[in-house]
Amino acid sequence: MTRFLARRLLLALIVVFLVTVVTFVILHLLPGGPARGVLGVKATQAQIDAFNRAEGFDQSIPLQYWDYLVRLVHGDLGTSYTLNTDVSTLLGERLPKTLLLTATSTLLGILVALPLGVWQAVRRGRASDVVTTGLAFVLYATPVFFLSLVLIILFAQVLPIFPAQAAQGDDIASLLSQPASLVLPVLAGTGVTAVAYSRYMRSSTVDNLAEDYVRTARAKGTPERTILWRHVWPNSLTSVVSMIGYSVPVVFSGSLVVESMFNYPGVGLLFWTAARNADFPVLLGVVLVIAVTTVLGSLLADVVQLLIDPRVRVPGVKS
Amino acid sequence: MSVLEITDLRVSYGTAVAVDGLSVTVARGEIVALVGESGSGKSTVALAALGLLPRSAHVDGTITVAGKNVREATGEELRQLRGRDAGMVFQEPMTALNPLHTIEFQVAEAIRNHDPEPRRHKHYRDRCVQLLERVGVPDASKRLKQYPHQLSGGLRQRALIAIAIAAGPGLILADEPTTSLDVTVQQQILDLLRDIRDTEGTGTLLITHNLGVVADIADRVLVLRNGKVVEEADTDALFANPRHAYTRQLLAAVPRLGDTPHDEEPERDRTVLALRDITVEYHGRKVVDGVSLSVGPGEFVGLVGESGSGKTTLAQCALGLVTPRGGTVDVFGGKLTHKARRRLGVVFQDPASSLDPTKTVEQTIAEPMVIHTRTSRAERRRRVRELMDAVELPQALLDRRGHELSGGQRQRVGLARAVVLGPDLLIADEPTSALDVSVQAAVLDVLERLHQEFGFGCLFISHDLAVVDRVCSRVAVLRGGQLVEQGPCATVLHTPEHPYTRALLLASPVPDPAAQRDRRRLATA
Repeated sequence: MTRFLARRLLLALIVVFLVTVVTFVILHLLPGGPARGVLGVKATQAQIDAFNRAEGFDQSIPLQYWDYLVRLVHGDLGTSYTLNTDVSTLLGERLPKTLLLTATSTLLGILVALPLGVWQAVRRGRASDVVTTGLAFVLYATPVFFLSLVLIILFAQVLPIFPAQAAQGDDIASLLSQPASLVLPVLAGTGVTAVAYSRYMRSSTVDNLAEDYVRTARAKGTPERTILWRHVWPNSLTSVVSMIGYSVPVVFSGSLVVESMFNYPGVGLLFWTAARNADFPVLLGVVLVIAVTTVLGSLLADVVQLLIDPRVRVPGVKS
Repeated sequence: MSVLEITDLRVSYGTAVAVDGLSVTVARGEIVALVGESGSGKSTVALAALGLLPRSAHVDGTITVAGKNVREATGEELRQLRGRDAGMVFQEPMTALNPLHTIEFQVAEAIRNHDPEPRRHKHYRDRCVQLLERVGVPDASKRLKQYPHQLSGGLRQRALIAIAIAAGPGLILADEPTTSLDVTVQQQILDLLRDIRDTEGTGTLLITHNLGVVADIADRVLVLRNGKVVEEADTDALFANPRHAYTRQLLAAVPRLGDTPHDEEPERDRTVLALRDITVEYHGRKVVDGVSLSVGPGEFVGLVGESGSGKTTLAQCALGLVTPRGGTVDVFGGKLTHKARRRLGVVFQDPASSLDPTKTVEQTIAEPMVIHTRTSRAERRRRVRELMDAVELPQALLDRRGHELSGGQRQRVGLARAVVLGPDLLIADEPTSALDVSVQAAVLDVLERLHQEFGFGCLFISHDLAVVDRVCSRVAVLRGGQLVEQGPCATVLHTPEHPYTRALLLASPVPDPAAQRDRRRLATA
């Protein structure tokens, strides 16, 4: 098991390294570079050349990447061109807020989706399943920005219960001091994950209910409740857990939209602005953070998988 | 007193009738076999007996287990009856056990379900060990902590039998309990079922398609066809004097050793396939170990062995799908080039998964011609139709896809595809193992006719010695990757030299109760 984890960690490091290579190269292949965006349309060629020299853009891409990597290893993510702040400081402020948003909505999503999926699977084909399945598909087909708009109109304007904009401020305390302002962004994020997870859970449970081992359990007189929760539930989870682990990038891109809709001061909004201003250091920093969380997410899924499924943990019989 | 009494059972799904007016009783200490081919409704009977049919099934008639009316039982009454009054053993021991729970959990649960004061699973540990020892699981206390995937197929089936008898039921419903097992393991499981009957006096309803198994163990037999009982008789009487035409047809379809006379084989100086000293390793484990084997032009060579013996790996070497670690593969006296592949046909075991589901029958059969030749469309159409006749398939099936065909039809399509280019060598890997006996007989007839027409040599892989005796002139016996014996069928399968070949021959049950009793005496002696 230790060997398995060591190997997965090494693999994770390699993946993160490759992600930095790819994003770096793609960003730096963009024609024109960031100078025009940063200095404005009125900048002279001399100013642009000076900027490019100062930032090292006159060097070859491998050399630039090497410099970037050396600074990265020393914990230096560079300085934002437009905000004149260290990228690590920016991420330090923004990341906790985004994690608060994504973690809460993912957790809520799981809490809603898993029981809902089981419930639908057990009642498969009955009116209650058909109705909830129909609703789920409507929600599934609704883009996040539209869902956010609907939530704002319903709960901030028609029924003014919650604010339409997240609390502003540098640190996470400002957000936590106004929990009501978190409700709508979290709900929008939950909508993204809950529907997808519940569909997976439903089909996984339906498949498992038809398995031979369920018939065996029934044939030996096991009560239906026990069959569902001790036999079917863990088996259904094995496939859904990895799906949840691998969905980190989806959650992040969902959060990008949610943050811009609710003016939520997180990483998503930061990325959004940086992308429009060709703010390379910020873009690279955010992509790095997402890559690391994605890799950690799948690592976590593998570990949970390892814990519930003995077939991964214990070597089998040699036929 | 009867432990199971079914009267006039009728089960239908919509308009499709699965069981049609079936009556059967099983007394204490009696083994009753329900025999039939796929689709005859035999499994439905077992599931109905425990009220396990899906909601969509429409059930009529009366079912009494241990004096209790199953059809009128409430959910809780049914639950109590399952396991306590009747235990069930299934066909596929791997999928019938929950992969995420230990053997202990799954056996203990079977006891706990019927304990008036259920306690924690580990409370039943001693009883679990006793049960596993009862069904002949060695190192029972060590096995308790293991998961199903850590057990061999035979041990899994024993664990399932332990679960079935855990609450001391008077009836065992065994649905094809040995079908997925090797013959030597099958014999052990049949011995166990017999022993449980002898010592515990349990009644058994045995569901099987294998007439050899019936002859070996059953006291009474019901022959099922399309949901109807066509004949019911004591086992000896049924085999000695089958009254119904279908029973006779079934018995005639079972291949038996010695049915086919073998001519003196000519010495061959040429080969279409020559495997020399082949060794294959997977993760440092030798799965094929120094095997040499050749097939002459027009010669049928059988390759027999149990699962894991390396039969299929050897076939894959011949097909160039596996590169051996040592040894040489000669096809038509040289390497297997793209040009040589044209003269090589192949048929696989599972006809369902070896046909491309998106292609029609016509496209499937024509594909080798598209790959290897420049024949015109009209020429291909003509050739495909010729072959449909040769494998006895109606032209109406040309536009169907794999899932619209029966198992036998699919395997005929597979055969037609294999011979469409007129091969000189055919590799057939268990081509009839997934088929019913009567279908198997028909497919083997087709294969023989194709052989007469095309004269190909064939490497014929099978676990069924009687099938090999019927179609092959020479046979090689594999065990654990090594060749234990090879020679003419007339010698190897009738006067075997090697003890393993003898054990294999004795373990394969024959459809003749008297002969089967003699063989048992020999096997236990």
